[in-house]
Amino acid sequence: MKLLLISILLSTLFVEKSQAESVKDEVVTIISANSAGGMMTRYARMIAPYIAKHSGAEDVRVRVMTGGGGIRGTNYLWFSEPDGKTIAFTSVPSLILAQLSGSEAVQFDATRLIFLGRVATEPRVLTVGATSIIQNIDDARTLGRPFIFPSQGTDEDFYSMAVLADALGIETKIISGYDGNADTALAVIKGDGDGHITGWSASEAVIESGDERPILTLSQERYSPYPNIPTALELAEGESRQAIQAIVNMLDMRRGFFGPPDLDPLATEELRDAIVAALNDPDLIAESLLAGLPLLPSDGLTEQQKIGQITEASQVVVPILEAALQEIL
Amino acid sequence: MMFEAIFSGLAALATPQAMLFMLIGVSYGLMIGILPGLGGIVAIALLLPFTYGHELAATLALLLGAHIATIWGGSVTSILFKVPGAAKSLALVFDGHPMTQQGHASRALGASATAALLGGLMGAVFLAFSIPIVRPIMLALGPSEYLMMALWGLTIIATFSEGSLLKGMIATSAGIMIAYIGMDPVSGTPRFWFGSVYLLDGISFPVAMIGLFAVAEMIKLFVKGNAMIDRVAGEEKSSVLDGVKDAFKHWWLVVRSSLLGLWVGVLPGVGASVGGIAAYAQAAQTSKTPERFGKGAVEGVIAPDATLGANEGGGLMPTLAFGIPGGESMAILLVAFLSMGIVPGPQMLTTELDLVFSMVWIIVIANIVTTLIGLAISSRLARLPTLNPNVMIPLVLSVCFFGAFATRGLVEDVLVAAFFGGIGYLMDKYQYSRANFVIGMVLAEMIERNLHISLGLYGDLFIFTRPITLVMFIFIIITTALPFIRQQRAENAQDGNNKI
Repeated sequence: MKLLLISILLSTLFVEKSQAESVKDEVVTIISANSAGGMMTRYARMIAPYIAKHSGAEDVRVRVMTGGGGIRGTNYLWFSEPDGKTIAFTSVPSLILAQLSGSEAVQFDATRLIFLGRVATEPRVLTVGATSIIQNIDDARTLGRPFIFPSQGTDEDFYSMAVLADALGIETKIISGYDGNADTALAVIKGDGDGHITGWSASEAVIESGDERPILTLSQERYSPYPNIPTALELAEGESRQAIQAIVNMLDMRRGFFGPPDLDPLATEELRDAIVAALNDPDLIAESLLAGLPLLPSDGLTEQQKIGQITEASQVVVPILEAALQEIL
Repeated sequence: MMFEAIFSGLAALATPQAMLFMLIGVSYGLMIGILPGLGGIVAIALLLPFTYGHELAATLALLLGAHIATIWGGSVTSILFKVPGAAKSLALVFDGHPMTQQGHASRALGASATAALLGGLMGAVFLAFSIPIVRPIMLALGPSEYLMMALWGLTIIATFSEGSLLKGMIATSAGIMIAYIGMDPVSGTPRFWFGSVYLLDGISFPVAMIGLFAVAEMIKLFVKGNAMIDRVAGEEKSSVLDGVKDAFKHWWLVVRSSLLGLWVGVLPGVGASVGGIAAYAQAAQTSKTPERFGKGAVEGVIAPDATLGANEGGGLMPTLAFGIPGGESMAILLVAFLSMGIVPGPQMLTTELDLVFSMVWIIVIANIVTTLIGLAISSRLARLPTLNPNVMIPLVLSVCFFGAFATRGLVEDVLVAAFFGGIGYLMDKYQYSRANFVIGMVLAEMIERNLHISLGLYGDLFIFTRPITLVMFIFIIITTALPFIRQQRAENAQDGNNKI
């Protein structure tokens, strides 16, 4: 009888252990789904030791898994054990948009991923060339011809412009195929294109130099250094506003950590807490400033809620994305 | 004001720390450049954490010095082992390696280092004098002109198609097909990916090159059983000094190639790999003896190296003048600039001109240091291909597979390098030009991308509505027709002689 009780007790302990997975004293692997020398991987490598420090994990390692604009690494994560020992870091909007636009390569459902925390984000801005006749967003609406938007492919800026054009009533012609931000910026400066969308950090130098002019931001609030530039949200109402809100939420998630679906609740809690603590660690903040990798953290729960809003609005957004894609095919 | 800036730019570098950092940067860059798959981007990215808290000029010397030295490092392996250190060193394989096989490795290395130096110097000088016109020219050229540049590069396939133009075109088409694997650059639609996420990213160009040339050569060596270069037959028949003289002898080619390199660097959207091939194309097409190209013509080494040397100075221009980096390595440099308090923009070409000239001087000095080191070690490096195959094959294959893996950190790339090794061996055996294959691969995306943008922006008749495009188009037709006209004339003359 005694032996039976001990066995039951031990098995209970064992079951409890297998149900609640802690990352303490474990090795956690971060899948960096972007290129080895790229900014995303530099962020992941910079933060990893601090996650180890604040989670009690034995080690936090970065494994680079480049491919398909983050799709390869996320596909890998999707099939990983939900024990907290494998998490990923990449540009979240790219994943969501790849899924919403129906990319055949996507094997995951971004809405079922467990979001653990955002590291950084920045407002995205619609800029026009300094010599352009377009002074503000109203000029773009009443241009009398299509607003030419050079784009480097079907990235988040391509889809953002498609939603903006639909919501704000801007007749737009998207010219896709440019070779990166430098190429689209030059097209706008020389007047081949009317405007393009980039992050503030990428456009800061050209705005400061007077070669480009910002006319709209894609952010929750106005960007403090440019208080006169309106946000897209201010200009839309009803269903259009819902579509823009979905895009803004998506862009706001930017550089984030996430785990596979059904991630163990204990591991989720530990990792969310550790990421918040790491991103507020004074040593990491100092290191990030030195490395030119700014931090703008948000906790995992908040990010998870944004995913819910995006899913709700997807019925409005998906037809716009599909129509934009059809137009350039 | 400009002369004042030239001297103050140089004075900023006259500190022990700046000189030491330059030497460290160049030595490190040479080592990184020699490893295939690793290039200027990796060199700068790895250095970035060590750049804080030092003199501005010293930090720039470290970063730019390393970046510049990687270029010649890549040329060394192209010439000696047919292993292009980076995509932009590809054109060095075409004539550099045949020179090695003929016992002229030292001469090829000497010519390569000197051409890169002269290119770097001319690029820097042209850059200094072009500063007032850089912005207008950048703004005058667009996608339709880039398209013409790519088409011009494509015309070189005739040079490598000796014997059978059909085989040459088949090889080029195969290269274009391989380049189409992955997501198309316009709509992001996956094509030829067969459900594999690995193929979604396309076949890495450096990986395919490593396979096609280096791995294929090792297979050939294994089948043949001799050293890459027979120790007796391949005994050095010329010296490093001969190569140095060659570069000076072909000074006009160096000037033309340097100008080309400078502007290829200045224009974002035109890669240095295209620049190398375009330089090779102009050297072959303007030569009085184009038939020597591909068989060990020293001009085939001089032209691409001068272009690559000059390219770096040009690459700095869009970064400094507009704050828009033309490539990944320039993007990393821009991060370093901003962290050092350097804010790019038009003021760089006016009020901050001394800083721009500091960078011009760094390019000049780094090129000189690289060349001096290069010339000093060339004769020793030239002996490497005579190694016994039992040593050579495992050595080169290890470097190749390490390089293939290092390119993107993917094991699959190692398998792809091996696969392309087999393809390269078969192509060589059945005389399908591997050079044409890679030219097709390099230029396919640039042509597709710029054709699509040009049609979208300027309409179907863009060739005739854009004056610069039209001039370039006519130039392409003339340079393409010239070799055929020459050949026809030679045949007519031959017929005439036979009749007599």
